[in-house]
Parts: sequence; structure tokens; C-alpha cells
Amino acid sequence: MNYNPQTGLVGEGVKFERIRRITGYLVGTVDRFNNAKRAEEADRIKHTVSRQNSCTKQ
Amino acid sequence: MINGIVKRDGRVVMYDISKIKMAVLKAMEACGTPDFEKADDVARNVENHFIAMGGNITPTVEEIQDRVEVRLMQSGLDAVAKKYILYRAARNNIRERNTSLMKIFDEITFSDAISSDVKRENANIDGDTPMGTMLKYGSEGAKDYYLKFLLSPDQAQAHREGYIHIHDFDFYALTTTCTQIDIKKLFKDGFSTGHGFLREPNDIQSYSALACIAIQSNQNDQHGGQSIVNFDYGLADGVAKTYRKLYLKNIVKCCEILDCPIDYEQLKAVSGRIREECGRGPALKADEEYLRRELKALTEMTGDEAVAKKAQKYALKKTEGETDAATYQAMEALIHNLNTMHSRAGAQTPFSSINYGMDTSPEGRMVMKNVLLATDAGLGHGETPIFPIQIFRVKDGINYNPGEPNYDLFQLAIKVSAKRLFPNFSFQDAPFNLEYYDPNDVRTEIGYMGCRTRVVANHYDPSNRITYSRGNLSFTSINLPRLAIEAKGDEERFYNSLKKYMELCSKQLLDRFAIQKKKKVRNFPFLMGQGVWLGSDNLGADDEVGEVLKHGTLSIGFIGLAETLTALYGHHHGEGEEYQKKGLEIIGFMRKFVDDMSEKTGLNFTLLATPAEGLSGRFIKMDKKRFGIIPGVTDRDYYTNSFHIPVYYEISAFDKIRLEAPYHAFTNAGHITYVELDGDVSQNLEAFESVVRAMKERGIGYGAINHPVDRDPVCGYNGIIGDVCPRCGRRDGEGVPLEKLQKLGLYKHLNASTLGQCGNPEEEKDRIVNPLY
Repeated sequence: MNYNPQTGLVGEGVKFERIRRITGYLVGTVDRFNNAKRAEEADRIKHTVSRQNSCTKQ
Repeated sequence: MINGIVKRDGRVVMYDISKIKMAVLKAMEACGTPDFEKADDVARNVENHFIAMGGNITPTVEEIQDRVEVRLMQSGLDAVAKKYILYRAARNNIRERNTSLMKIFDEITFSDAISSDVKRENANIDGDTPMGTMLKYGSEGAKDYYLKFLLSPDQAQAHREGYIHIHDFDFYALTTTCTQIDIKKLFKDGFSTGHGFLREPNDIQSYSALACIAIQSNQNDQHGGQSIVNFDYGLADGVAKTYRKLYLKNIVKCCEILDCPIDYEQLKAVSGRIREECGRGPALKADEEYLRRELKALTEMTGDEAVAKKAQKYALKKTEGETDAATYQAMEALIHNLNTMHSRAGAQTPFSSINYGMDTSPEGRMVMKNVLLATDAGLGHGETPIFPIQIFRVKDGINYNPGEPNYDLFQLAIKVSAKRLFPNFSFQDAPFNLEYYDPNDVRTEIGYMGCRTRVVANHYDPSNRITYSRGNLSFTSINLPRLAIEAKGDEERFYNSLKKYMELCSKQLLDRFAIQKKKKVRNFPFLMGQGVWLGSDNLGADDEVGEVLKHGTLSIGFIGLAETLTALYGHHHGEGEEYQKKGLEIIGFMRKFVDDMSEKTGLNFTLLATPAEGLSGRFIKMDKKRFGIIPGVTDRDYYTNSFHIPVYYEISAFDKIRLEAPYHAFTNAGHITYVELDGDVSQNLEAFESVVRAMKERGIGYGAINHPVDRDPVCGYNGIIGDVCPRCGRRDGEGVPLEKLQKLGLYKHLNASTLGQCGNPEEEKDRIVNPLY
């Protein structure tokens, strides 16, 4: 891990890893996605799980 | 006389002497000595030279230019000749550079992957490395060749213009897509990778190592991902062998402590003999008959029945735990290996998948439990493993309901998936999967490639309706939204062009198959040479693979059903039941078409819900250019994946599942449904499970749940990270004061100069392990 003795800081320039699934495969970081996949990932909205809709597990 | 001139691209044009004159004049101008008469003289001399050759001739541009050079020298115009030669070389260079292939090579060479879509086409290849770049040159060069030489003009045009997309086009004339590897069969009696022979493995560690090698070897013979279809049954043999070995060692150890030493090799021979006699040996599930006979033999060997009994008891007590630990280590090694090993000239981590879930033997269960626990633990610094894709088979009566033999593993799979995104879930009870399932033949259990590919029906050979040792040969996708836009709301026109392009795809798949089937066993030393592919074990090295390849599938895929419906009817299938009905009609039409093709050809034509990794952007980019922005159709940077409800559309998880499930039944070449969940789902396993169960009840074939999994490499935090890391408080790319990290208990035994990446061995010891199982 990079350490900067001048500032006493650890990890400058180190990015967060964001693991996402695109075609079934996971990709370690969104950086390696092509432009279309990045756009699609950014547009994703979450799906609600409401109890009364659940058709299973009583 | 001179009939015409052959240009560099082969076209013949009219001969025109003034063009020669102009070129010479330009060279003279560059020397500052323009002379029209001399230029005219050179041109006439060149012309006469060719006419003197007699008959009707058609020289090439190059031949003319050569002759001009000669004449310039002869006339003492040396300086002009020099300029002329330089000018000619520069023109040639520009011409060469301007071909699209050379432009692509230029992009590959000089732009970083971060700014180049060409280099990020496959997220699994690092386009910035020398090997990745070399592969890219090869790939782009091959594509150019196939387009110009192998495709028929209508296929080339449809592919180039984005009506269809021929997947893995760089491998067009080389190989096939993927295989579900039967690892149990492969390991029996050992195998050869093409670079050396490996003996049948003898313990779970070598089973796991060889499983990785099998995936790697096969990945070099095919262009797609690789999957092990029977990870549970296959590796269970390794657990059984490790148990037997450790059990006998424990007996020897105990006898030694009790002062009655016996020889390990002798005991092994004795135990082996009993196994041969009664068919049973030391195993996780202890066998009374074996133990009785072993006790008798042990008593003879030690001369002391009490010692023999103690030794047996000791071994029975100890061996299970030791086998479990060895299995965990083996699974940990497998996951580490599959995330770090390389294939294809070292540029790519193999795309790997493993299927498991239904083996109820104690050994198979031990494999599954430990691969899940190792996944849960993550890689060396707690990172989420990217490979292998794990696919847990869900089945009524085996693991779905409380009380069933593998119910505990299903629960564990849910827990791990809620943290690590894997395993995904495949559903054996979906009617289109259940149809082929025979409880007496494990080869009929459903298998998915991680990306979604599925092969089970077999039109070519109905006696082999199995998932084992088969896979996809090649696939081509249709740009459905394009056809819909062009139809301008006219349904009949849409269906006519859909039919036209499905015919074109079928023809192209058959043309490609004609190339594939001419290959010989020796072209695929592992896939065919080692009998991995169904039926290949009966072939010799020089036999053609055409006949056995017929077990594979030829698939037609599609993208953007949602945009297609919007273009045709104004709304997509999430927006109303009438649009869902229209969607099912379209996909049902496509399915019928491929079924008819199978009937006509005797081959396995199937319909694929295309994964479209690189395709999602390619088609829409072209369509934006052609048609401009059409709301709901071309107004984003991607077309929606296959039959999915658009990712940006608000819908409940259960409605999404209900609407997508019927498409799974149509898309027999493969499908997947995703649900996006918010927040930290590992804290809400009930919600997670309710989604998995809804998938099963609704007849989804294969599904996965997406949720945010982030990690901060600086402090090692795993979970959801918004703008700020909840553990160390830094923003993306910011540094954190060392003292702050040490206050958090990190890096505390290290000073600035010995700082490692969370790899502080002292600190790791301090971490609390939360038991999962």
C-alpha cells in the first residue's frame, strides 16, 4: 500500500473496488467495462421486495 | 495497346496518359524545376514502352510507376526521380494506414484501455498488457480476413451494417464455443493436457488442482468459457480418497503410540483387499461390515484386540475433521487458482463455471460446503472472487425444503450469495429442465455455463439428451430493435424481415459449421483428444470431428426485446399485459423457427437470450446514426439485454420474475434473469431467499441476484461503500492518515516502511472468524 512520508497518508490514488455482474460474469471493477456496459450499470434501479407479493414461503 | 490500368485494390480503370504527366510534373515542382515538355516526354516514353510489349495489355499502377522511375533516371533527372520515389512511398504509406484494419491496429497500439472501447470489448482480457495487445492484433486481423474472404456478401453486409452480429467472430474458422466438462470421466485413469500426462489424482488437493488444469486446457481449445458440470459428484471421489488415506494413517499413528507399530503399506494392502472382497472401505459414512473385517485383520497384525479397537475408534473420531480441513484447503486453492491462472498466451483468466447442488453423498456434501465457505472467506485480502461462476442447482426433494438432504447447503448458498454474488441459482424443476431429468442418470441434471448457455435437448441423437460433455458450437444474434424501427409500426413487415434475418443467420451458422466440422481431432488435443466432448473418445487423431460436433448447438440470439416492443407498439412488456403478449409472440415465433430448422437439418438449432457483452453498445450506436434519437428505443447508450425488463424501469422483483419467466421456456439455448436488490442483503437473508424461491415457483431456469459489493483496498472494508468508506472515512482515491488506520486496529504492528496491503499477519490473527455453518 502506498505511503506518503510527506503527508503521512496511506492509499492516495487507490480506488474503491466495485464488483458488478454484467453478462453472468462478475467484473472486479467497473473500469474494465466498455462504455455501453458502464451506462447500463449506471441506469440500474433496485427492485422492491414487498412481502404481500411474495408467492412463496409462508 | 494499353487496355486499362489495374489499381491496387484490383479494380481496372481507363488508361489516361495525363495522369502520368501530372505525377511527374508534381515531382518536378517539388524540385523547383517544372518543365511541361520534359514531363510529356517521360510519359510518352513510358507509354511506348508498354505498347512495344505488343498485344492488348493491362499494366498495374506499380508497373507504370516503376517504368516512370527508370525513365526519369535515364533522362538524367535524378533529383526529380528521387522526389518521385519519396512521393510514391509516402502515398503508399497513407493508403495502407487508411485501411480500417491499420487504423484499428493504431488504436490498439497507442491508446490505453481506459479510453478505447476496442480494448475493453472483453472485460476479462487486460488490453494494456503485451500479450493482450498481441491477441488483439490477431483478433482484428482475423476478423478482417473472414469478412473479406469467408462470409458470403449478404452475410458480410448484414454483419458489417449491424443487422446481425456473429459472436466470437475472431475465431470464426477455428473452433467452437464451450463444453460442460464431465470431470469424473476425465479423471478416471488420468489424462493428458497436450503438454504432459497427469495420473489419476489421489487426494482432494490434486483433484482440485487438476480441475483447474482441465478448465485451462479446454479454454485453449475453444473460444468460449468453460464449465464443470458435475463439480459435486466429480470432486467427491477426491474427498473419499483423502478420507481413506487419512483414516489408515490415523490407525498406524494410534498403533504406534500404543506400542504396537504396524506398517502403513501393509495396512493399505489389507484394507484394499477387504474393499475388493466386500465392495466397501473406510468412508465418511462408516460401514459396519468393513469395520468388522478390518478389526479382525488389525487384531492379527497387532496381536492385540484392545489396541485394534482403540486404533479404529481413534481413526473414526479424527479422520472426518481432518478430511474436512483438507477439503477446505483444496477449495480455497481452487478459487485462488481460478482467479490467478492464465490461458491464451497469458492474457486471459479462463472464464470458468462450476455446477453443483444435488449430490447427497457425504463426500459431495463436504465438497459443496467447503467451496461455499471458501467463497465466503474471499481471496487473500478478503476480495470477492470473480471466478469461478458457481451455479447451485435447486431441486424439490433434494435441497429446496426443510428436512431435505441438502437443505442446509441451499441455505448456505443463499448466505454466501448474499455476500459474494455467487452462487447463482439454476432450477431443475422448471418444466423445460424437468422434462429431460431422469433421477437415475446424473447426466440429465441441468447444467448452465456461467454466462447462461444451456444445452440439453438433442435432436441429432435423442438417446443423448444430457448436459454432460456437450456445449454450443457458435451463435449469431439479431438486432431486433433495428428491424422494429424499420417496420414503422407495420407488424407484418417486421415479421417478414425477422424471418429473412433468421434465414440468413441459419445459413451463416451452417456455413460456419461446414468449416468447423472439417477440423480434425488433432486440432483440439484436449477437447477431442482426451474425450472431453461427447463421442470423441472413439475417434483417432486424424479423424474429422464433424459427426460428434452434431451433439452441439447452433444458436440464434437476440437483443433488445424491450426496445423492439416500444418501437412497434409504443410500450415495452413491463408496461402492460398486452405488450407482454406481443413480446411472447415475437420470441415464440423465433423459437418455432429454430425448432423447424432442427427438424429440417437434423441438427440442434436453438434460441438464445444473448449475453451481449460487447453487443449492447455496438448495435445502438449504429442505430442512433441511422435513425437519430427515438424515445424509449435509441435514447440510451445500450440496448436492453435479451428479454429483460429495462434496468431503468421501476418494477418489483416479483413482477420482474413473473414477466421474464415465460421467456425462459422459449430460449432453450440459455437465459438468465437478474434482480437488483438494494442495501446490504447479507443482513436480510429472508428477502434474498424470497426472491430465489419466487424464481423457482415461477419457472425461471437460471437466475441471479445483484447487490452492491464494494471493497476498500486501503482498510480492507467489504460491503457497500457510497462516497465515503464507512470504516476508514476516506473518499475514492484519498489517502488516510496512518495513525487513523492504526486506531482502527489496522497496520498496527507495522511502521510506514514495512506497510503491506492489509497483509499484516499479526492483524489477521486478531480477526474474529464468524462461523457460518
